[in-house]
Parts: sequence; structure tokens; C-alpha cells
Amino acid sequence: MTTYEIGNPDSIQLDQPRESRQAPGERSKALAGLRPVLGKHAGLMLAFALVVVYFWMTQPIFMTWANISNLVASNSVVLVLAVGATFVVISGGLDLSTVSATTLAGMCLGFVLADGHSFVVALIAVLLAGVALGLANGILIAWVRMSFLVVTLGTMTIYSSLAQVSNEGATISVFSAPGFAPLMTFVTGRLGPIPYIMIFDVVLALIAGAVLRYTSYGRSLFAVGSNQEAARINGINVTRVMLCTYVLAGLAAGIAALVQVGRLSGASATTDPSLLMAVLAAVLLGGTAFTGGEGGIFGTVLGVLFLGVITNGLTISQVSAFWTGTVNGGVLLLAVLISTGRDRGWFTRKPRTVITGDQVLAPDAPEAPEQQRA
Amino acid sequence: MTDQHGPTTTTQPLIRVEGASKSFPGVRALDNVDLTIHAGEIHALTGENGSGKSTLSKIIGGLYTPDSGRIYVDGELVSIPNPAVALEHGIVTISQELTLATSLTVAENIYLGRLPRTRLGIIDWPRLKADARRILDRLGVHVSPTTRVSSLSIELQQEIEIARALSTDARLLILDEATSSLSETATDRLLTVVEELAASGVAVLMISHRMPELYRSATRATVLRDGALVGDVPLPETTEEQLVRMMVGRDLQDYFGSRDVEPGEVVLEVQDLETLDGSLKPTSFKLRKGQILGVAGLVGSGKTELGLALGGVLPSRGDVIVNGYTAYVGSPREALAHGIGFVPEDRKGQCILPGRSVAENFALSWMQQLSRLGVMQLGVERRRVESSMERYGVVAASSGVAISTLSGGNQQKVVLGRVFARGCEVYVLTEPTRGVDVGAKSAIYRLLQDLASQGAAIIIISSEIPELLGMADEIVVYHQGEIRGRFGSDDFDEEAVASVAVAGRVHAKAS
Repeated sequence: MTTYEIGNPDSIQLDQPRESRQAPGERSKALAGLRPVLGKHAGLMLAFALVVVYFWMTQPIFMTWANISNLVASNSVVLVLAVGATFVVISGGLDLSTVSATTLAGMCLGFVLADGHSFVVALIAVLLAGVALGLANGILIAWVRMSFLVVTLGTMTIYSSLAQVSNEGATISVFSAPGFAPLMTFVTGRLGPIPYIMIFDVVLALIAGAVLRYTSYGRSLFAVGSNQEAARINGINVTRVMLCTYVLAGLAAGIAALVQVGRLSGASATTDPSLLMAVLAAVLLGGTAFTGGEGGIFGTVLGVLFLGVITNGLTISQVSAFWTGTVNGGVLLLAVLISTGRDRGWFTRKPRTVITGDQVLAPDAPEAPEQQRA
Repeated sequence: MTDQHGPTTTTQPLIRVEGASKSFPGVRALDNVDLTIHAGEIHALTGENGSGKSTLSKIIGGLYTPDSGRIYVDGELVSIPNPAVALEHGIVTISQELTLATSLTVAENIYLGRLPRTRLGIIDWPRLKADARRILDRLGVHVSPTTRVSSLSIELQQEIEIARALSTDARLLILDEATSSLSETATDRLLTVVEELAASGVAVLMISHRMPELYRSATRATVLRDGALVGDVPLPETTEEQLVRMMVGRDLQDYFGSRDVEPGEVVLEVQDLETLDGSLKPTSFKLRKGQILGVAGLVGSGKTELGLALGGVLPSRGDVIVNGYTAYVGSPREALAHGIGFVPEDRKGQCILPGRSVAENFALSWMQQLSRLGVMQLGVERRRVESSMERYGVVAASSGVAISTLSGGNQQKVVLGRVFARGCEVYVLTEPTRGVDVGAKSAIYRLLQDLASQGAAIIIISSEIPELLGMADEIVVYHQGEIRGRFGSDDFDEEAVASVAVAGRVHAKAS
């Protein structure tokens, strides 16, 4: 630093230009493996472990294979929907209609099965129904460019109402339908000790994770969610990405309907309102940001398991089911509070370099600090 | 320039900053800088973009807290943690960024947060209107106090912003590039008012790199470069040339780099291109291989819209011919496919994926090249990203860190590098060096020179005329949606370019 004499500007000498003031960081290998994923979810995993250990200690039945199988099976619908919702949330949107779409697609499945069609026909029908319901959302949101909240709020009510209309509110029992047997095997059968449905959940999560990570669609999805305008300007077909995303969410609803109807042996016309909350809470807990452009399947799976374990643990602890909502809601708020705190640095103890007041009040300050204004 | 503005050396300085430092992730924006301003003094703070001027003024204005350093007001050590405290000390900032509530009226904006009230606690509209009218008259702004701000031009909005600052009892007025969107007459009126204020004892910190303004009003100048203090010199005794050398710190020729290339065949031909919303009127020009075309103009002149139209972002009609083939630029995707690499103006809003990694940000426009049947070739991607980081001089801990942790200069190198590495026929770059420090700026200029030497055709759309003068072979100047001036490299003249940009024509040269 040089200060020039007043009135003698000729004393100016030029410093050598400095090329760059950035600290030369080491350039390590791109994209490390699992470590960042685990690091990001460390808090949730720790909480998950604590809850598991608690129920394990207090309820011996908790850690039995029967209970674990039951836990996984009873949370499969949430898991499938949460995987679909993860895609939507990464894109920066939200699909409120997903549970209603499951109900409506389930009714379709019920009618097709009750009509005596084979399982394959029923399978195609329910998946197509899911895709169609998702496509309706996608067209309105991606093409017509309506707000995703308005569209999915609208379709949420429409889908659940249509489900009621279709059979005048009554459940369609499919237990004795000829096409139901394979579905029954799918939801209750086992490969050795492992339920098919558990294998299915794992495979689904792996496929979804791979799509996000290794396909150009997955990468475009993150780009669109992170900054839609930047994605568009760099040649990404935003409309197509958004459309695909809502169609995938619809497909997830179709798959969920399959599991749902299989587990209940019938297609119920009523939509369980707490299911939507469970799906969205699992996605949020898993660290997928509702602002878009961030998140992943691993977190969502962890979120589903976490909420599932709590519900299951409370049930076997014979706590009234009325409390489940309170506990789940509390856990969600706590988790978000913790992650908010982490973003704002509440837990990192670092020197408070940003506050000038500290320097001002430092004992070496020559001027009397008491003269300071309040 | 009058003498009574000079500081009376016997009195306590109104404000004194000692050893102020401030770092942002990756950049030391301000490094141990001192600044002293006396009451009644008009003090210029100058330096290149990214030299730390705005950082220093934001520290004084309470928008940033310094990492270290002391601030004295009237000799008393103070801390200014937020703008409200700055206001208590009588420190008022007028910045180039507008902070108006556009749906409210002019008068409400001027007295925002301190509207006069009657004894009943109801807003005293007659007084509000009268007070606002008085302030506006003083500035010579002919706007009704009851007009909605949203219906005013940007220039008038800037004047409302100034009126608001004047309506407070400022002791230190900070003008942070406040004249950048004002016409000559409005600038003249503002400077007259500022000089009056200074004569009545108000201190003024004027941040500007417009030399004529500095030499007209200021009595001292503090020059910053790369975040460090270069000097504190009297004006007008220090000549303009000396001041510029202090600011730039190197020969301009080195700064912009050079290229040795004869423009080749025509790559881009634009015929009667206009935007559907009318912001760009039919415009035609040609661009050759190895040529850099500079595009100048004020905000709203159509220069930004030209870029948006060529990039397929803004709906347009007319012919865009690349290498003899008509390119349909209906969407950014099509523009890219036709070899037009467009970089928009707003880095944060239109270019980067803030939470995503450097690698993903690089690969954003390579997606089609990198995917085989919809699957990303991650190995190829990693190699390309690493070689691009090297080639375009991106400094980051790794390609896996979020781009938002990088300095503005490094972010900009990623944004430009991804388009360069994609390989295009024509590059349309809007404000390629905005918000970038001097070192990175020079590095970007070199990249552009290299690119042109290798035969690329480049359009630089910039509000920094010196940058265009230093880089371009030809400059076109937009005014009110049309090209109003064309300058070949032989008749480059900063004042003439600026005058066409502001007034749409070249003024008769005044002494």
C-alpha cells in the first residue's frame, strides 16, 4: 500500500499487476464417492439410529424380522410416492395430487380386476392410468405454464372426487378376482426370508437414484430446478423435462396404486389425507430442498424409513395412534430446524469475524469505548 | 470546481476509515484501506470495477461489516452494523441499484418510512405532497408527487432515489455510481445540487469512473486497485492520465491483450432482426471470422435485446444467417444448434446453477454432446471439465464444489468457458466482465483475443465503453432500439461513442 504525497502526483509508481487474488486451492479428483452423500445425511442417520436403538431396547418385538418385514411392506406406498415426489421437488415443483391419483388409479385397477381381466392387463391399465393422470398435470404445468400449486391442488380434488364418483364411494373388493393372485403373491410373497416387496423397493430406489445421477434427464432435472432460465438458455428443453417429471410422478402413483390395492385386497375410494403429508415430510426430511435443484433418492428412502420406524415403534409401544401425527410433525419441524441452523452456522463455533463491534470493543482500541453510541 | 469545497484542515474529519479489510469467498475485496473525508468536501473514490470501491462504500453505509478495521465519525470510534445505524450517523447512500417501492407514488417513496402524520396519526397527505414537490423542484425534476413510480423511466426513478436521499438530513452523502443511468442534463443538475450541499457543509463521497464528473466537482480522489489503496491525491492537480494509470496499474495494451488476425469470410449476417415486443427495431450487420464487434448503448437501448434475440431467448423476426444458412432462433436450443453461443447479462439469474457443482455448471450446455441414449458419459465429462478448468483458468478446490462458493471472476470463467468449450461459430457475450475483478477481467480479455485469433466471430455487448474500445474491431451504438452510430477501429472515440449512446447522435465537440 502506498500513499502519495499531497500535491506531488508525480510520485506515483505503479505496482506490478497482481494476476489473481484467489487462494490456489488444490485440485482434487472430481466427484468423490459416497462421502458427501453420507456427510449430508449424517444428522438424519444419527437420529434414525437413536430412534431404532431406543425402540430396540424398549420393545423386544421391534427388531424381529417379522416386524421389520411388516414395517417395510406397510411403508411401500409412501416410498413409491416419495420417490416420485422427489423428482418433482428437485424440479422446483410440488405434486399435491399424487395420493389422489393413487386412489383414482387404484379404482381403475379395481374395475379392471373385478371385470375378470388378467393381471397383465390390469397392470398395464393401472400404470397407464397413473401416467395419464400425471400427463394431465404435466401438460397444464409445463405447456400451459400454470402454477404447479394451482394445478395439483385442482387435480388433487378432482382425482379424489372422481375416485368417489366411480363406484359411488364404495370399495371394490378384488380378493376373488382371477387376476388378483399374482398381485397377492407380489405383496405377500417371499424369496427365502426376504419379502418380494422389499426387493422391489430396493430395486425401485436404485433405478430412481441411477436415473438422477447417470442420465441426461436427471442432470437436466437438477439444472431446471436450480435455475430454470439458465437451463433454458443453455439448450435444455425445460418443457420436456417438466412434462417427463410429472409423468414420472403419475407413473409412481400407478405403481403405488398397485401396491395399495394388493395390500388391501381391494380398491378403496377414499383418499387418506395423512398419506400426502407422510410423502412430502419424507422428501423434506431426506434433505431434498423445496426450493428445487437439490436432493436425492438416498435421503428420501432414509426419510421414509425414519417416519415409518417412528410410527411402527409408537404402535408397538401401544401409544395411541392419535399421537402419531404430533410426533411425526414434531420430528419434521425439528429436522428442518436443525438443517436451517446448519445453513446459518448456528452449530459451528467460529471466530465472529463479521462483527466490527468486537474489534471496536477490543481492549487495544485506543479511543475510549464508552463514548460509543448505543 | 470551486475552492470553498476544500477541507478545513484544522477540524476533525467527519469520517475516517482505518485499515478496512473485507473478504468474500475466494476474493479479498478490500485490503487494509484508509479513507478520510472532511465536512464540506467532495471526495472521489475511483478505481476499476472490482477494485473495492463499492465494498468500501457499503462498509461505510452499513451494508457490509468489515473483517477488520475501524471507522470514526467525528473522531469517535463507531460500529455500523446496518444501514439504520448509518442513517443515525447521517450517512446516506444513493446507489446505482434502485430501491424504490414501484407500486407507490413518488411522494410516498421519497418519504418512505417517515411519512408526515397529522395529530391523529393519519398520514398528512397535503404536507407530504408539498414537501415532495419542494425536493423535486430543487432537483429540477418535473414529475407530479402523486405519480406512481412504476410508470416512470429508469432515469426518473434514479432521480426519485436521489430526491429521497436529499430529503434526509445527510451529513455524508455517498453517490455510488449514481449518475450511471442519468443523461447529461440530469447529471448536471445532480452535480449542481451536490455542490450546493457540499458548500453548506455536507461531505460527499462520489464513486464514479466518469472523469469529467470527478474533475468538475471533486477536490480529492482516493484510488483503489485490486482491493488495495493506491493513493489519495488532490484534484484537479492530478491529471487524468495519472489518475487512470493509478486505477489501471498497467499499460492498457497489456490489459486488453492483442491479436493478430485478418478478418476472414462473413460468418454471421443479420438482416432486419427485430424483437416482437419492439424493444429492438430492425437491425442489420455482418460479422467476419476473427472479428470482434462491440455493441454499446444505455440500458433499454436495445443492445441487451439484440443479444437475447440472437440467443433465441426473446421472440424475434428477421434473418439470422450463419455461414450462409438461415438460422431459426426460436429458442435458445435452436440458436445453440446453429452455432450461436449466447451468454446473457445476469450471471446469477440467467447463467449459473447456484447450488450445483462447478462440473455440472460447465457441462450444462454440453448435455447433448455428452449423453449417449440418454446416459451421461461421466468419464468423458470429467476429463472435459478438468481440461476446461485448466484452460480457462478456473480456480476452485475441486470441480465438485458448488459454484456459488467461487469468486465472481471464476464463476464468469465457468460461464464463458462452457460456451467456448462447446465450440460455436459465433459468440454473443453480454457484459462478459461484469462484477469481475481486474485480474480475472484481463484473463477474460486474453481468452477472447485467443478465441478471435483462432477464427471465432465474437459480439461483445457491454456498458463499459473502454472495454469495447480495447477489444473490438468495430463498434455499433444502440439508442432507442436502433443502431445510431458505427465506429471503425480508426475512429474510435470514447466521448463520441458515449454521446451517441446517451443522445443518439454525436455532439459537436465542446472544447
